Amino acid sequence: MDLYLQQLPQQLVNGLTLGGVYALIAVGYTMVYGILFMLNFAHGEVYMIGGFAGWWALHLLSRNNIPLVNAAIVISLMLIIAMGVSGLLGVAIERFAYRPLRKAPRMNLLLSALGVSIFLQNLVLTYQGAEIRFFHVSSLIPESIRTFHIGNVVVSFMRILVIFTTFMLMALLTVMVKKTKMGKAMRATAQDTEAAAFMGIDVDRIIVIVFLIGSALGGAAGTLVGLLFTQVDYYVGFQAGLKGFTAAVLGGIGNIFGAMMGGIILGLVESLATTFFPASYKDVVAFVILILVLVFRPWGLMGEKIPEKV
Amino acid sequence: MRKIFTLGFFASIIVLLLSVPSYSAEVSKGINVGNACAFTGDAAAPCMEIFNSSQLAVDEWNERGGIHGVKIKHIMGDDAMDPAQGVNVAQKFVSDKSMYGVIGPAMSHIAQATLKIYGGADLACITTAASKPELTEQGYTHFFRVNARNDAHGPNCALFMKRNLKAKRIAVLNEKVAYCENLAKETIKAFNELGITDILQDTIVGGAKDFSPVLTKVKAYNPDVLFFIATAAPDQAIGVRQAKELGIRAIFFGTEGARDKKDFIEASEGAAEGAYVYHFGPDIYSIPEAANYVKNFEAKYGVLSGFGPPSYEAMNILLTAIDKAAKDGDISRNEVRKCVSETANYKGILGFPVTFDEKGDLKGGATYFFQVVGKDFKQVAVMTGK
Repeated sequence: MDLYLQQLPQQLVNGLTLGGVYALIAVGYTMVYGILFMLNFAHGEVYMIGGFAGWWALHLLSRNNIPLVNAAIVISLMLIIAMGVSGLLGVAIERFAYRPLRKAPRMNLLLSALGVSIFLQNLVLTYQGAEIRFFHVSSLIPESIRTFHIGNVVVSFMRILVIFTTFMLMALLTVMVKKTKMGKAMRATAQDTEAAAFMGIDVDRIIVIVFLIGSALGGAAGTLVGLLFTQVDYYVGFQAGLKGFTAAVLGGIGNIFGAMMGGIILGLVESLATTFFPASYKDVVAFVILILVLVFRPWGLMGEKIPEKV
Repeated sequence: MRKIFTLGFFASIIVLLLSVPSYSAEVSKGINVGNACAFTGDAAAPCMEIFNSSQLAVDEWNERGGIHGVKIKHIMGDDAMDPAQGVNVAQKFVSDKSMYGVIGPAMSHIAQATLKIYGGADLACITTAASKPELTEQGYTHFFRVNARNDAHGPNCALFMKRNLKAKRIAVLNEKVAYCENLAKETIKAFNELGITDILQDTIVGGAKDFSPVLTKVKAYNPDVLFFIATAAPDQAIGVRQAKELGIRAIFFGTEGARDKKDFIEASEGAAEGAYVYHFGPDIYSIPEAANYVKNFEAKYGVLSGFGPPSYEAMNILLTAIDKAAKDGDISRNEVRKCVSETANYKGILGFPVTFDEKGDLKGGATYFFQVVGKDFKQVAVMTGK
């Protein structure tokens, strides 16, 4: 038993980092679903392209794997560029792949999303190749603060950075949705698109903004994972998208705070499951929990029970 | 009477359709050779090295005038490490009437999935890396390998870890694919025979990019050696990096896939220093016969790891066999397959002579051990198994 207990604090750190990333991805899924009632399957690819954008930023800002400017500036620029590229990509996807289909049956939107996903994956494969890009991050952080030891637990600087950044971004989003006029308009559009339009809300603009923010967060997640796990390739979006989607459903799809919670729970469950079961069972445990939640609360942990609109 | 004729006619057509197409053709109709590997995905880098090395051999043959005056065409078949796509590649190669041999499939799980297809068409395959023992134990006569099998590598690795690394407590992490699972099984079996039973075995998912939860488990177990069995180098780079980050003191031991300067040593940014890997081929830079190959490869394609040389050798063996089969101007797959199987004492660039036994396995295959020193691999031991 000692063997297990000894691992727990470390697994909490592992799970919290991974969960933060899942939460960021899940937020993008859930925001789009909240307003358009569609599953944006291209979101995983937006995350992957965010990772590539971050890699390019790092690549262009360093020579021989040594950054040309201050590391803090490099990391900030990587995040800003990744968020910018992914955000704009999200807006473009909405404009060209989803908006023309807004009046069409839901199934068409879903197919369009799958099509965009395959298109983006192959676009990156064609222009960036299949080889893995490595983030040479060790020169960004001085040896002395690369890892911290608290008793038996090791926390790397990158993990702290990732946890801090994800929670910062989620806090900013929360404030925006709860306190600003824009957030109010977003919530109104999610509640009832037509009524919101009658009240003078420019629904098209709100949808564009939702895609911009959701995709930018996905892009940030892509770069954060790159900084943490040091690799990105054209295929990482699939797995990440699946996990983000699961987290969003777990938390109650359409609910932003549910998505955040769902992501963190999913990350923690995966890490803790590895402690007690063979590692290949971690997804089994995660999905069993998802199924149990859906059996007893089909609307997710924080989702609302919405009466069927007639 | 007419009824009997019609019946006979259809019966003969059915017999024709069912019989194995063992036709022979004139060499002048073209000679194609295939290369089945994962040219996209995590293993794209070593697979491209396999392809480029084969291409180098093909180019040299073509410069010398080809086979019987016919230029050889080298065709790429990408399986993306996915057995389903591997089957597609196999079917494509088999249906190509001018195809007389294939290099690959390089991965055991793809080779396993395609054995029947290549075997049914009598198309000779020489793999340069697939090491699962069962591949040559199923009675197929078309499948050859220039690399040693897992049941040689496993015991050799176990012995090396016990004798050279003084290991008493081992953690084995393996990816859930045929080659890795099998190597883990063979190694653990050998450890048990050597009297080592303190073994933690767990699994990883290839391409997952985060192994810290399972490595945390390894840390709690506190082994002397961590045998990290994954297919591709990038995964092992993450493994060694995260193991170091977590403060795991065990010696990191990677597989043949990790013998890759760029995707393992460079990618791990110093974390791989002192780590060990095994490989089925010796250090190519130390073999005089390989000097020309190394020079030509590096001039044309850049850095060389351990995967290119066997593929250059395999392609030369295949083309030698095709050349022999085509001597009379007439060639068939059956003839080529027979000529490959007769390969004995072929002295190429690998530093050991290649002879195939009756199963298609390499006779006297060895396991080579390397340690990461600075930016390179240093060969530290050789062990000869089965």
